[in-house]
Amino acid sequence: MDGIHDLGGREGFGPINVDEKEEPFHEPWEARVFGIARAISRPDDWNIDWFRHCRELIDPIDYLTRAYFDQWLMTYAAMMVNSSMATVEELASGYSQAPLSGFPPPLPPSAITTAKKAVTSYQREATVKPQFEVGQLVRAISSGHSGHTRLPGYARGRGGIIESYHGFHVLPDVNAMLIPRAEPLYTVAFKHAELWPEEQSDRGFVCLDLWESYLEPR
Amino acid sequence: MTEHHSHKIARIHRDLHNHLPSDPALRVKALESLLIEKELIDPRTVDAWIEVYTEEIGPKRGAQVVARAWTDPAFKRRLLENGTAAIEAFGFEGWATGHLRLVENTPQVHNLIVCTLCSCYPHSILGFPPNWYKTAAYRSRAVRDPKGVLNEFGVDIGDDVEIRVWDSTAELRYMVLPERPAGTAGWTEARLAQIVTRNSMIGTQRHVPITPGALA
Repeated sequence: MDGIHDLGGREGFGPINVDEKEEPFHEPWEARVFGIARAISRPDDWNIDWFRHCRELIDPIDYLTRAYFDQWLMTYAAMMVNSSMATVEELASGYSQAPLSGFPPPLPPSAITTAKKAVTSYQREATVKPQFEVGQLVRAISSGHSGHTRLPGYARGRGGIIESYHGFHVLPDVNAMLIPRAEPLYTVAFKHAELWPEEQSDRGFVCLDLWESYLEPR
Repeated sequence: MTEHHSHKIARIHRDLHNHLPSDPALRVKALESLLIEKELIDPRTVDAWIEVYTEEIGPKRGAQVVARAWTDPAFKRRLLENGTAAIEAFGFEGWATGHLRLVENTPQVHNLIVCTLCSCYPHSILGFPPNWYKTAAYRSRAVRDPKGVLNEFGVDIGDDVEIRVWDSTAELRYMVLPERPAGTAGWTEARLAQIVTRNSMIGTQRHVPITPGALA
């Protein structure tokens, strides 16, 4: 979707706070949100792309003004309401109005020993030969769509070169809607000058990881 | 079965905005109480996750990996070939490092990591990203004006150095392998690990500084 989250190249956001104290959480409530997000029992039909899409759908003003972990909180809250795990009233009051059934008991602390080392692979078995080869010139498609996608606006319609190939990976656009489909994934290097001719730089690259359906030959 | 409709989520977000407490700390408190009551979380597990990502998992892990790459050429080769497999030697595998790719700085090349669409980061090896990494200011500008961004971090990149920006748009996660600083010949891996900074592994620092306090 052409949402506020697609920030690459937007201007006017001011300086970066380079003097920020180096610590994992700045406020106790931020740490709680993280811990809750890790510990919560979740329905089988939540996945990383659905989470990302639900975060993208936060009201644009809230997206730009609310802290990162606050956005996590709002996203989990919205997903819970959508999945009938809680109502807005319950989330506002903190009190349950009806018990929830169908979920296993919550993970005990002892589960962390293995959970902290759990690795998720998004690679799937290749089903056909990939269309592009390393070194081939490609162009990112110029159109987007209103659902979840990982082709940033700034790369649309721009020409790049296949830098590397990573096998078939789960396609976020449909995975967010629970359709399990995988496509060839490539790293595509775009010359900085191709993406931002107005910046008048002649060196350097911006590399993006893009699925085959985001690309066309040139 | 959950419905996955964008317009419905947008409407729920508006409802939440209008009805939840305005203070985030209060919103979290209400959420946690509710989740406990609904038996969806064990608060001790929440505590345990916080402890792990405060005490155990953080940029010190990445620093150890970099230090080994600086002292062991065979490990460095394995690391650049397959980051996910290489960090298993340390037991650092975990959240968001299922497809870890290291990108190497050289005298001619400087690498910078960003996620313009959300805030993807190799958590199990670098911990939590700094807030600035998640802000609109960094995400918008890192791809368009990387030199200006680096300048803000006090890094001056000469015209002879090529900047490569890696926008983490898929499930690959990136980490910079910085150059080993001059003047560290003969240092042990453990001593080198003490000087590697978080920002040097994101790419917002170019030269790893030799800290006088690094113990031999």
